[in-house]
Amino acid sequence: MGERARYIVASDVGGTCTDTVVFAAGEPIHLGKALSTPPHFADGVLDSLDVAARAMGLACTALLVETALFVHGSTVVDNAILTRSGARTGLLTTEGFEDTLLITRGAYGRWSGLSEDRIKHPVKTDRATPLVDPAAIKGVAERVDYKGAVLRELEETSAEEAIRFLIEERGVEALAVSLLWSFYNPVHERKLRALIERVAPGVYVTLSSEVAPVPGEYERSSTTVINAYAGAISRDYLQSLESKLGAAGYRGPVMVMQGYGGLLPAREAANLAVGMIESGPAAGVIGARYLGRLMRDADIIACDMGGTTFKVGVIQGGAFGYAREPLVDRYHYAAPKIEVVSIGAGGGSIVALDPETKVPRVGPQSAGASPGPVCYGRGGTEPTLTDVMTLIGYMDADHFLDGSIKLDLSAARRVFDEKIARPLGRSVEAAAFGIYRIAAAQITDLIHEITVERGLDPRDFVLHSFGGTCALLSATFGRELNVRKVIVPYTASVHCAFGLVSADIVHEYTHAAVLPVPSPPEAVNDLFAPMVERALGTLHREGFAGDRLSLDWSIDLRYSRQVHEVTTTVRAETPLDASGLVRLVDDFEALYERKYGAGSAYREAGIEMTLFRLTARGLMARPTIEPASLNSPDSSGARIGRRAVYSEAKDAMAPADIYDFTRLVPGNLVAGPAVIHTPITTIVVPDAQTARMDALRNIVIELG
Amino acid sequence: MDPITFSIIRHRLFRVVEEAVITLKHVSGSAITNEGHDLMVSLYRADGSLLMGGVGFLHHLTSAAEACKAVIRRFSGRIEEGDVYLLNDPYTAALHTSDIYLIAPIHHEGRLVAWSACFVHVYDIGAMNPGGFSPESPDIYTEGFSSPGIRLVERGVLRQDVFDTLLNMVRSPEMVALDLRSMIACNNVAKDRMLALIHKYGVATVDEACAELIGQSERLLRKRLGELPDGTWRSRQFMDVKGEVHRVELAMTKAGDSLVFDFTGSSPQSRHAINCTQWASLGGLFAPLFPLLCYDITWNEGVIKPITMIAPEGTVVNCRRPAPVSVATVGAIQSVNNAACATIGKMLSASELYADEATAVWHANHFAIFMFGRNQRGGQSIGILTETFAGAGGARSFADGIDVGGEIPNPISRMANVETMEAAFPIRYLFRRRMIDSGGPGRHRGGAGCELAITPHDAPDGGLHYVVSGKGAEFPMSDGLNGGYPGAPNSYIWVHQDEAGGDNRDARFAKALDELPGRKEPVTWGVFPLMGKDALYVRWNGGGGYGDPLEREPARVAADVHANLVSAEAAQAVYGVVLQADGRVDEGATAERRKTLRRGRLLTEAAE
Repeated sequence: MGERARYIVASDVGGTCTDTVVFAAGEPIHLGKALSTPPHFADGVLDSLDVAARAMGLACTALLVETALFVHGSTVVDNAILTRSGARTGLLTTEGFEDTLLITRGAYGRWSGLSEDRIKHPVKTDRATPLVDPAAIKGVAERVDYKGAVLRELEETSAEEAIRFLIEERGVEALAVSLLWSFYNPVHERKLRALIERVAPGVYVTLSSEVAPVPGEYERSSTTVINAYAGAISRDYLQSLESKLGAAGYRGPVMVMQGYGGLLPAREAANLAVGMIESGPAAGVIGARYLGRLMRDADIIACDMGGTTFKVGVIQGGAFGYAREPLVDRYHYAAPKIEVVSIGAGGGSIVALDPETKVPRVGPQSAGASPGPVCYGRGGTEPTLTDVMTLIGYMDADHFLDGSIKLDLSAARRVFDEKIARPLGRSVEAAAFGIYRIAAAQITDLIHEITVERGLDPRDFVLHSFGGTCALLSATFGRELNVRKVIVPYTASVHCAFGLVSADIVHEYTHAAVLPVPSPPEAVNDLFAPMVERALGTLHREGFAGDRLSLDWSIDLRYSRQVHEVTTTVRAETPLDASGLVRLVDDFEALYERKYGAGSAYREAGIEMTLFRLTARGLMARPTIEPASLNSPDSSGARIGRRAVYSEAKDAMAPADIYDFTRLVPGNLVAGPAVIHTPITTIVVPDAQTARMDALRNIVIELG
Repeated sequence: MDPITFSIIRHRLFRVVEEAVITLKHVSGSAITNEGHDLMVSLYRADGSLLMGGVGFLHHLTSAAEACKAVIRRFSGRIEEGDVYLLNDPYTAALHTSDIYLIAPIHHEGRLVAWSACFVHVYDIGAMNPGGFSPESPDIYTEGFSSPGIRLVERGVLRQDVFDTLLNMVRSPEMVALDLRSMIACNNVAKDRMLALIHKYGVATVDEACAELIGQSERLLRKRLGELPDGTWRSRQFMDVKGEVHRVELAMTKAGDSLVFDFTGSSPQSRHAINCTQWASLGGLFAPLFPLLCYDITWNEGVIKPITMIAPEGTVVNCRRPAPVSVATVGAIQSVNNAACATIGKMLSASELYADEATAVWHANHFAIFMFGRNQRGGQSIGILTETFAGAGGARSFADGIDVGGEIPNPISRMANVETMEAAFPIRYLFRRRMIDSGGPGRHRGGAGCELAITPHDAPDGGLHYVVSGKGAEFPMSDGLNGGYPGAPNSYIWVHQDEAGGDNRDARFAKALDELPGRKEPVTWGVFPLMGKDALYVRWNGGGGYGDPLEREPARVAADVHANLVSAEAAQAVYGVVLQADGRVDEGATAERRKTLRRGRLLTEAAE
């Protein structure tokens, strides 16, 4: 990397588009957007780099030569699973338990990932087809017990036969190895890998003790299978991306976003396909946390709403939670993943009346991007939430997406009137506003449930509003949730990419073992020592040392005979001494009652430590964002007109001021009712609320 | 009623229940509540009628309504804001004593406007046998603590004397205390959210929406019933306990827009605890009715109105006090639920419009095995073998049943991992897998059940004990539909390996029942030891099949044989499919075999 390397480049590959963002100190953010190019996603990355470079007046090579760091997020693994395009995979498991993956802990695999409506209709439910052909699952004779003791040695001769059978008879290209209790004692899994490497050196192998060293054989096996299934794809993809970037002139490291919100160097990420699952939404949460730091908000509800989905993640005290039972498609996996909950609600959500009761409903069906809402004029015949937004004047038919698409308001009106308003016996505008209220109420209910799940009170939070559709609704549901304020970030349009550049290198290490409380501190320190040694070795190799690395210890604790485990951060000096351990247990008890409610602690049964986690961070340089100086509150310079929008107070259409976001300057105030158009979204400022542009050019609506 | 506001309030009522369920699981923290989802939370109107049933154990939705009504009757004029009532007497409303209802009135400005109710299966209730299922109890008096209604919390203050009295009567009082606290917290959340809803929309509007919600459900179900053909459909379930056989007889008659479930002809009540009371029977028949007929209708009082139940007193489905009922939830209630599932399936499949909603019976032979004893860490362990929640799906008119796919009355159950069980109990699993020939044969095959074997491991006392309330070993219970065969029966076998002597290394890692040496003794009822090298083998039923097995595509039968779900013998004997040595279908021999089987049926019929 040369002296002039000054750019940080982030590329985020989504299902439809690949976004590239270029940051450099003291320069505006440059953006490149190109269509994603499945299954050869690397091409789309280069395309979007090219677009960004051209916007800067550079050749792609010139940009990459001056780039110090390339950060990357990709849906390549999600895509391999959704399209079932992974490797032909086999599974080796403990004899007698060959069906574990197929029976999914009973009905768990049948109802997981389904909406409540579908759960209530069991006759029409099914499991997802397993990623492993049931005929490609073989048991091997071996047994380890609950404390890691070998009860039965691995029979290597029959194991070798099983491996040959899977490869020669079943034609598998990848092998998952998942044995009972292997996370306590991986000896047999390692022997199997050695056997596979000898018998079939080209076959991709994943061991459960490496990819998911945690208790629970069903989830561990499922994770192992997913990793083996998509492993070759993620490895080949990242290799091809690295070599293409190299050919185009890039000489720096390629960092890849993980579902837990940290980056891994591409070489490491290549063998951890499960790590890349849902890394886009994770980047979104990381971006929200960074923005929160800049704005001194530690408690954030981060909402993202686009065409089909509403996603929400919660940051509390600057920390986020991990999903307890993550799913990809409908497959369970056990890997740390930032909790992001989604429902089928977006601009494309179809609005319909129940044929029997005439009760209106928003979603979960979506018109998607094609045919899309009626007002797009691309053949959509069902009214959608986007149509509703145009009918109540919130979206401007002439200025949608910077005027790139002209909306057909009269078609939207005709269809909505016929299918919704007339059957309800209401005017088009009144019915449309009613639908708007329903959508806002459903989102309110979702967020409320998520905060209850974590024992939180939304009134302590600020709400970040990302995505093309969210700011149309966020002031309304934010008010109903009683959050302190709603923030529509300046970076909303490039949010995931913003998250990528605000992430650190993070390596997660875990060790499962049950230790009672109290235990001597040495017992805990002995478990961490090998993890610390590995982490330091890795981070040093990656060039991190001194104050550019941090090691955080945390431990999962539970009350004996209770199922809830709480990951508790070690706040004392490490290695631990006796008082540090006492402090950890105190923290656990406080956290437990906060999350599960007063009176939920069961101290009489005793406390156990069950999982020991080391989070090793290499701290990355961040793009700096300089706050601007604040101007006068007078926003008249950005006012571009007046138009009728629905007013809840008047319960009728009424004139409102319309503003151009690009002409607002920090310090400006916008009094509701008003609508602010940005190049990618529309911000509705309801009656009696006031929005201001802050020094970072975010739009802030104070509610509390 | 304004449809916009109605839509918003309806959605929020769902969420009130959902949030209360989360609270219940959080505070309880027990495996049966969190893993088995053996719980229920629902909202009731001021008069105790069901307003919003949640997804939990569906047997309870109507029983808890009756519990609300019983509390209203008993405490009339003295029901105060902040009270919480406990009721678990099966002869008043509950299913069995260990499923405790906590019922809380919701007041708005001093006026009673609604109730919330919830239940969990508590760790213990002080019956003869630990864990709630008490197969050795001869009567209700020995089934533990039982209350027809008692005030547990008075105006927001816990009645410590009552609380302590109850805990004084149970094993594992700390765990039961936690269960009770979780239910109190759950009702508090339901109340807070309900009041927030009333605060926002006004008590009159919410009340109107609730009334409309019930009216709507009734209209929708009546319309659906009107679209289904009139007729009477019958089902008969057999329950075997210690050599005695009991029948549940059901004739379901649909006329116009109402349904009558008539259990006349069912066996007299048993001296064993498989009986159930009338409220439990009502719950048992609604458990399949909600998801099979009301999958798109809100589960509330409106769905109950078009339904009538006739259950003669003194029978297994409406026993008289003091008959024992502790095993009811896997006994007569389950049989009522199976019979209702069967008759509803027959009715649906008689309709062109609804044929694709018909299903054969799912996981009919529910069982309960509670293990207890000193564990590998020296503490006491008590808990259920969660495999009973794993179930098996009945075949459908368009597809096979789902192997180990759960059950209808508890839509979101699951079983624990082997590693979870081996960590909690001093046991080791030998195997746990789908059971060959367990799914009921049919054009669409019933989902397979499973088999497992466990043996003591690192047990300080050499092993532990278990309470088994297992029926369904003598007769198949998961009925098939439209010519489909039933799923295989259950099996519970005590393998006396200790008697076999020696240290047979192969036997320590047996892969199947027939590899285990030693006398094999069927055990279905009572408390038994699992000691030394002995093993307990359990097999549970598959779901019923759909349609004639002779019509199943031979290639699919061959695939099932290949997957070890159907034996080659059953393929030939039941499906009429003959396989070649390489496992592929012998087309000629299959056609011949099926012809012979069909001819045999005609001859049998002629002979009869």
